[in-house]
Amino acid sequence: MTDDLNEQAVSGLPGILGKIDIMISRIEAVILAVGVLLMAVNTVANVVGRFVFGESLFFSEEVNRILIVMITFAGIGYAARHGRHIRMSALYDALPVKARRALMIIIAFFTAGIMFMLCYFSIGYIQSTYSTGRLLPSLSIPIYLMYLWVPIGFAVTGIQYFMTGIKNITSEDVYLSTHVVDGYADTETEV
Amino acid sequence: MMTIMLGTMILLLLLGFPMMIPLVTAALIGFYMMFDGFGQMNTLIQQLMGGIRPAALIAVPMFILAADIMTRGQSANRLVNMVMAFIGHIKGGLAVSTAASCTLFGAVSGSTQATVVAVGSPLRPRMLKAGYKDSFTLALIINSSDIAFLIPPSIGMIIYGVISGTSIGELFIAGIGPGLLILFLFSIYCIAYAIIHDVPTEPKTGWMERLKAVQEALWPLGFPVIIVGGIYGGVFSPTEAAAACVLYAVILEFIVFRSLKAIDIYKIAKSTGLITAVVFILVAVGNGFSWIISFAQIPQALLGTFGINEAGPTGVLIAIAVAFFIACMFVDPIVVILVLTPIFAPAISSTGLDPVLVGILITLMVAIGSATPPFGCDIFTAIAIFKRPYWEVIRGTPPFVFMLVLSAALIIIFPQISLFLRDLAFR
Amino acid sequence: DTEAANWRYAHEEFEGDVQDVFAQKFKEYVEANSSNTVQVFRFGELGESDDIMEQTQAGILQFVNQSPGFTGAIIPEAQIFFIPYLLPVEDDQIIEFFRTSSAINEMFPELYAEQGLELLTMYPEGEMVVTADTPVRTPEEFRGKNIRTMTNPLLTETYRAFGATPTPLPWGEVYGGLQTNIIQGQENPIFWIESGGLYEVSPNLIFTGHGQFTTAMMANKRFFDGLSDEDKQLVHDATAHAFDYITEYVPGLSEQSLEKILAAKPDVTVTRLTEEERQAFRDRAPQVEARFIEMTGERGQALLDQFKADLEAVTGN
Ligand code: NA
Ligand code: NA
Repeated sequence: MTDDLNEQAVSGLPGILGKIDIMISRIEAVILAVGVLLMAVNTVANVVGRFVFGESLFFSEEVNRILIVMITFAGIGYAARHGRHIRMSALYDALPVKARRALMIIIAFFTAGIMFMLCYFSIGYIQSTYSTGRLLPSLSIPIYLMYLWVPIGFAVTGIQYFMTGIKNITSEDVYLSTHVVDGYADTETEV
Repeated sequence: MMTIMLGTMILLLLLGFPMMIPLVTAALIGFYMMFDGFGQMNTLIQQLMGGIRPAALIAVPMFILAADIMTRGQSANRLVNMVMAFIGHIKGGLAVSTAASCTLFGAVSGSTQATVVAVGSPLRPRMLKAGYKDSFTLALIINSSDIAFLIPPSIGMIIYGVISGTSIGELFIAGIGPGLLILFLFSIYCIAYAIIHDVPTEPKTGWMERLKAVQEALWPLGFPVIIVGGIYGGVFSPTEAAAACVLYAVILEFIVFRSLKAIDIYKIAKSTGLITAVVFILVAVGNGFSWIISFAQIPQALLGTFGINEAGPTGVLIAIAVAFFIACMFVDPIVVILVLTPIFAPAISSTGLDPVLVGILITLMVAIGSATPPFGCDIFTAIAIFKRPYWEVIRGTPPFVFMLVLSAALIIIFPQISLFLRDLAFR
Repeated sequence: DTEAANWRYAHEEFEGDVQDVFAQKFKEYVEANSSNTVQVFRFGELGESDDIMEQTQAGILQFVNQSPGFTGAIIPEAQIFFIPYLLPVEDDQIIEFFRTSSAINEMFPELYAEQGLELLTMYPEGEMVVTADTPVRTPEEFRGKNIRTMTNPLLTETYRAFGATPTPLPWGEVYGGLQTNIIQGQENPIFWIESGGLYEVSPNLIFTGHGQFTTAMMANKRFFDGLSDEDKQLVHDATAHAFDYITEYVPGLSEQSLEKILAAKPDVTVTRLTEEERQAFRDRAPQVEARFIEMTGERGQALLDQFKADLEAVTGN
């Protein structure tokens, strides 16, 4: 699984928007890496705690719950940026370049639309979770806080696909994301 | 409603949309039709969150992380070298070693693709040099890597366990028997192939070299001990075993072998996070999809239409095997498990089938389907990694698919192949 | 308005468990006495306990059965059932209490109504039985044991008061946790201990007499208020029908479950605390009451006082 990603930050957006975009990309990368490391440390500490000290960390599970939401919703934007979402591309790959580009434009805009819808609905969900005042039982943190990254993740992903659509309209090649050209090396994601 | 939902989902899947989209679009259509508009979307989001809530899912990123550390370090190579030292010299030994290495690395890694990369990449050139045809070599690597899906740990089993409420520890233990059965069948075929095509044998390795290879592999051999021994002995839950593997991998590669530097951990964690997110968004939207079909009682209607409720336990098992196999010829195994498991759930519980046996059969069938043309995703992994054309990659697969289907039949007829170890450990 | 309706009803347990039996009896009555139908969803089919509660509040589900232990997250007062030695464990007394208590039948419906819920009934599922890795007779013997509890703050306080280390865990992890010794014990009604096979990995049953597993059945309030008088009466009658059935069913079930456990695993030990031994635990209850008042304020105090008055009327002391 040696799948190191293009480290250079590129944005499809002009000017100040591009800078914000690059910043979001960097934040996503840090959240992904730090999220996984924190999860590993937390889970390992819980195991060590149980075997060495005979006591589990009472908050361990809730911390992981928070981290998994963070990793998932930071990751979907990052995956969209790098064209890494899992697709069944066999039929698509058999098409000529022009048809692929047309199909990719449809895929990109449709996906963006769905992401913006989910972004909107998840804001509604956060509002309702906020109003019930539910808490995480051990940490006593309001549950809505852990969902704050959800609409952001959907919005960032939606923007990435929207820009991929624009990129495909304005260029000759087929783009999987704003800076990943379609090709076998990038279409499959290791799972 | 179910026709529109399933029809849209299949259409979008085949057109090449990112797989989260067909699932969530079908769910959105279901919600819209069920509740006359978008008035109840809180429940969809609630269920997306519910999908990634189970604590057992934490095992997924932990196993990916451990395998990623080892693949970049030396553990994988050391395991391969040890297997080679012992069976490299027999007729067909290199091929058997490849299958055995995939099995052994499978005891470390949770996924097929990771195994293709870790074992297939170094061994394919050696097999080609030794005189094996590339179509045979590619088919062997792809299909042997599927053994990794059955040998614990297995991401497919974790996800099946979470959505069906089945013990993941029991699934892990029950996967060992079928995994070894497949390795046995493949080994016989490899030897027969080498005899028929008269592939030259490799020089025999001396005992001193063997001893050295074993010594070098001793450390990485600790992984199966942690996972299988830990779960079997009731010391670890699967999630804890995964955490222990991460700790062990870090100690091995960063401290004992010094093959990785501290800075590498950032890259590895980021890559693990990305793979996790891509899988978990599917788990999230899959849960939203299964909520609306459960609410609308679609599984009961579907199973009734096909007469599966009257089929009896063996009939249900065969129906499940066929459905998962066919679906995985087209779609990613994780998605297939997410969509089909809830559909079959009422039939599984009403026939009183052992959910562990069902899980093992499902895991085997998705592994077979993934390696079967036209669109099995392992084929595309191989195309991507080895840069070989489609026809070359699939030409050698039929004998392997035959052996895998034979294994599935044997498991249906003799469930003890799978359940013997489980019963020994847990009953 | 005689048009037949389909009502959706979700609960937290598996096929054949107490909540499922209750739901099936409710369904049976409604369908026999009207043209309405009831669709019952069991554990996991529409999500976890909190999920089905939110769905009922949203009006997607018409009826839901949720134990106050979970409802405590939105109605803190509902945690009163976790104060140890507050409720009697004797079958006759507990049923009489649920039938007559004005705290249950008048005060609680108001609290639920604030959350958009019409509380239809509360009923006992059986005495809470502790299982552990060794028999326990005193708080001292609880020391150092991780006892799994539902994820509920007051219940955590109870086990802390008892001298144990409370460990909130989701239900799915209990069996494995006991097997791998992550936890050394847990509490549940006996039928759960039997059907979940918990005695296999935690073979010492301890009847502490400290609590009843109580649960509540309710409807979405907007839905209920919109029903015709005839349908409202139908719902109340069906609830009463199911309640009557369950009060006969639960005591017998507890005995059967214990017999099954002892037949399946003869080396299971059964410890029934004597009145004296119970007193040592009962002495620690005030600390939990204080925590309850801290969490719920004056309303909690009023509820607790009424509870005690109602109980006095039933037990006569
Ligand atoms: Na594996
Ligand atoms: Na596939």
